[in-house]
Amino acid sequence: MNVVHQSTYYTLYQSVKERCFYVDFGQKLVRMSLCQLLSLRHKVLSISIEDHFDGDLNKHGFEVLMLCNKEHLFVLNTLEVLDLKHLVAQGFVAMGLSEEREAITV
Amino acid sequence: MKDIARQSMSIKVESMDLLNGQIKMEAHASATYLAMASWCEQNGFFTSAKFFYKQSEEERGHMMKIFEFLIDTGGNPLSPEITGINHDYSSIVDVFESTLEHEVAVTKSIHNIVRKARELGDIATERFLDWFVLEQVEEENTIRDILDMIEVTGTEGVGLQMIDNQVGNWIE
Repeated sequence: MNVVHQSTYYTLYQSVKERCFYVDFGQKLVRMSLCQLLSLRHKVLSISIEDHFDGDLNKHGFEVLMLCNKEHLFVLNTLEVLDLKHLVAQGFVAMGLSEEREAITV
Repeated sequence: MKDIARQSMSIKVESMDLLNGQIKMEAHASATYLAMASWCEQNGFFTSAKFFYKQSEEERGHMMKIFEFLIDTGGNPLSPEITGINHDYSSIVDVFESTLEHEVAVTKSIHNIVRKARELGDIATERFLDWFVLEQVEEENTIRDILDMIEVTGTEGVGLQMIDNQVGNWIE
């Protein structure tokens, strides 16, 4: 497996042999197709990080993320969400599917 | 290193995001025209209602065209959430003026995606949108012609009835 991009907490890999991607979430390694990676990107970039700093909108500062058709569930704190946003944005740049240099919102 | 991502997807994700935004806009337009058809039915403009039913279907057709393009290019099309549809209009003139505003907004949005695709070197998206650019010219022209007809006919006396009848000329 080749490393596509590594952030503080997470690593995105590409497996040429299996023609798929892996995201290492620290406690779990998740296998993903590009479609599932696009879905992860949409979910992560849709998270409003501003809400984490508003006690009314996000009381506890956590996000529940379900991936790969509800096969995996993650509970992420603010720093982890920011890091995952970074991984996703830069991962797609490294894969040549994005021109953006900074995290974008969808 | 083999480029698996590029082999799986043939457009840029920024184009995909913008096209998903356009899917939402077309779906919103479709729902808006259905609301206008409802208003026309309730206010006795039965021919105009038919016109808006057809417009509503056309907008959904546009939405599906983009949806299928995203599927074909290996992207991730998103089924849009539609809220905030206006059902209140002060007159039939208000209905058609709102329609023109809507069409102009759609045109601007498409032009913006074309510009962005060009900037990204995303030729597939740029060429795909050629059809939409010309379609919008036609859409805007139709509504402008109807508004011109309303102006000439006038809304006094039997004018409103004449306007409604003449809208039939723009139903293909």
